[in-house]
Amino acid sequence: MSVFLEFKKVKRTGFLPTFLCGGILAASFPVINMAARTEIYLTQQGSPLQILFNANWQIIAMLNVLLVITGTCILYNTEYASNAMQKIKSLPTRAGSVFLSKVILTIFMCILILAIEAVAVTFCSYYWFETGNGFLIGLCKNFGYELLLMLPCITISLLISEACKNIWISLGIGAVCVFTATMLPSDNFNLSLFPFAMPFQVFTDTNIEQAIHYICNAVAEFVVLCLLELVFIKIRREFE
Amino acid sequence: MNIIETKNLTKSYAGFTAVSNLDLHIPKGAVYGFLGPNGAGKSTTMKMFLGLTKPTGGSFTINGRKYPEDRIEILKETGSFIEAPAFYGNLSGEENLEIIRKILGLPKSSVEEALETVGLVQFKKRLARKYSLGMKQRLGLASALIGKPPVLILDEPTNGLDPAGIHEIRSLIRLLPGKFNCTVFVSSHLLSEIELMADNIGILNHGHLLFEGTLDELRFNANSQGYPADNLEDTFLAMVDADNQKRGVTK
Repeated sequence: MSVFLEFKKVKRTGFLPTFLCGGILAASFPVINMAARTEIYLTQQGSPLQILFNANWQIIAMLNVLLVITGTCILYNTEYASNAMQKIKSLPTRAGSVFLSKVILTIFMCILILAIEAVAVTFCSYYWFETGNGFLIGLCKNFGYELLLMLPCITISLLISEACKNIWISLGIGAVCVFTATMLPSDNFNLSLFPFAMPFQVFTDTNIEQAIHYICNAVAEFVVLCLLELVFIKIRREFE
Repeated sequence: MNIIETKNLTKSYAGFTAVSNLDLHIPKGAVYGFLGPNGAGKSTTMKMFLGLTKPTGGSFTINGRKYPEDRIEILKETGSFIEAPAFYGNLSGEENLEIIRKILGLPKSSVEEALETVGLVQFKKRLARKYSLGMKQRLGLASALIGKPPVLILDEPTNGLDPAGIHEIRSLIRLLPGKFNCTVFVSSHLLSEIELMADNIGILNHGHLLFEGTLDELRFNANSQGYPADNLEDTFLAMVDADNQKRGVTK
C-alpha cells in the first residue's frame, strides 16, 4: 500500500518514463552491438549468455546505475520541491517506512529494466546463437544475480538523495560515484564491494563460491545501509 | 479541560534558545491565538507539537497523549499547516489530498468535503504548482482539515491571502470548533487578526510566554500594568517592547 502511495507521488515527474526509456536504451545496446559486430562474437568460445554478458554488461550496468541514481533523485526531489516532506512528516507515518517504500519501488523499477534487458539478451541469443537446454534458467540466474548486486546501490543512492535537498548535489555525488566505480579494478574483490561497483559484476564470469560471497556482501551492505538510514533519521531530527 | 498542555517546554540550538520553559494551557473546543513577533518561537513550538523538531527540555500532552511515546497517535488526531503550504506540485489538489487521505485511512468522501470546506472544488483537477498563492494556502488548510481532526495547528494560515481571502479563512477558523468539534491553535504576528477569531490568546516573545488568557483578561492585565488597553495592537506592542527592554534587546 505504501509502495503504491510512493508510486502515486511521482506521477508526472518522469520517474516511470525515465526507467522505461533507460531500460530500452540499455537493452538496445547488445542488439546493436551484435548486429554491428556479428562475426566477432559468433567466433568466440562460450555460451551465448557468457559472450553477450562479457561484451555488453559493463555498458548496461553503467546505464542501470545511472538510472538508479536519476530515479532516486527524482523520488526525493518530489518530496523536497514544494516542501511536501514536511507535510508527510507531520502525518502519522514513520520516516523509516517511507524510505523502505521508496527502496521497494526502486527495486520494482530495477526489475522492470532488467526484464527489458533480459528480453533483449534472449532475442540476441535466439537470433544469432544456438541456445541449448537451460538457457532460460541461466538467464534468470544472471539477471537475479544482477538485481541482488544492485540492492546496495539502490539503498545508498536513496540515502544520498534524502540527505541532500538540492537535487544537483545528489546527482553530482552519484555521478562521481559511478565514474569512481568504473575506474575500480573489477577483479579486486574488496574494491568491487563498493556499492556502485557491485552491479558491474557478471555472474557468468564468477565461480559459484565467489558469487555467493558477492550476494552475501550485497545483502549485508543493504541491511547496514537500511540501519544507517534509521541512524540518519535520528541524527537529522536532533538538528532540525 | 485543556486539550494541549506544555510543561517547561524548551528548544535550544547551539547558543540560542528559541523556546524557553513554555507552559501553555489550551482549552478544548477553543480557538487559541498564539501571538508573537517574527522569530518569537511560535513556529518552533508548533513544530515540536508535530514532532518536526525535538524539544530539548520539558514535555507536552495533546488530547491526553504524551510526546514522544504517543507521537503517532498525536499525529493521527492533529491536522496541521506549518509556515507555508506543503504539497506535491506535480499532483493536482485532489491527488494531494488523496495521498493524505490514504495515510490517515479516511473514507473517500473526506477529500471532497475538505475541498468544499476551503472552496477549492472547482480547481481540484488543477496541478498544485499552478495554484495561486491563495489557492495553495487553501490547499494547505484543506490538508489540515481533512478527516476533521480534534486538534488543528495552524501557523499563520492567512499569510499571502488577499483581504477577501483573509476574511474568509478567518470566518472559517472561527466556525471550526462549532462545526467540527475541534480545538484550533492558530498563530499570527497580528493581534488585530487574532482578536477577531480567538477565544484565548498566548503572547510569546523571544521564546518566553508573556501572557496567557482571554482577551478581557489581557485588557485587564494591560490596565493594571499601565499598558495602553484601548487598542489591543498597542497593548501587544507595548508588552513586547517592555519585554525587549527588560532583556536588553534592541530592535
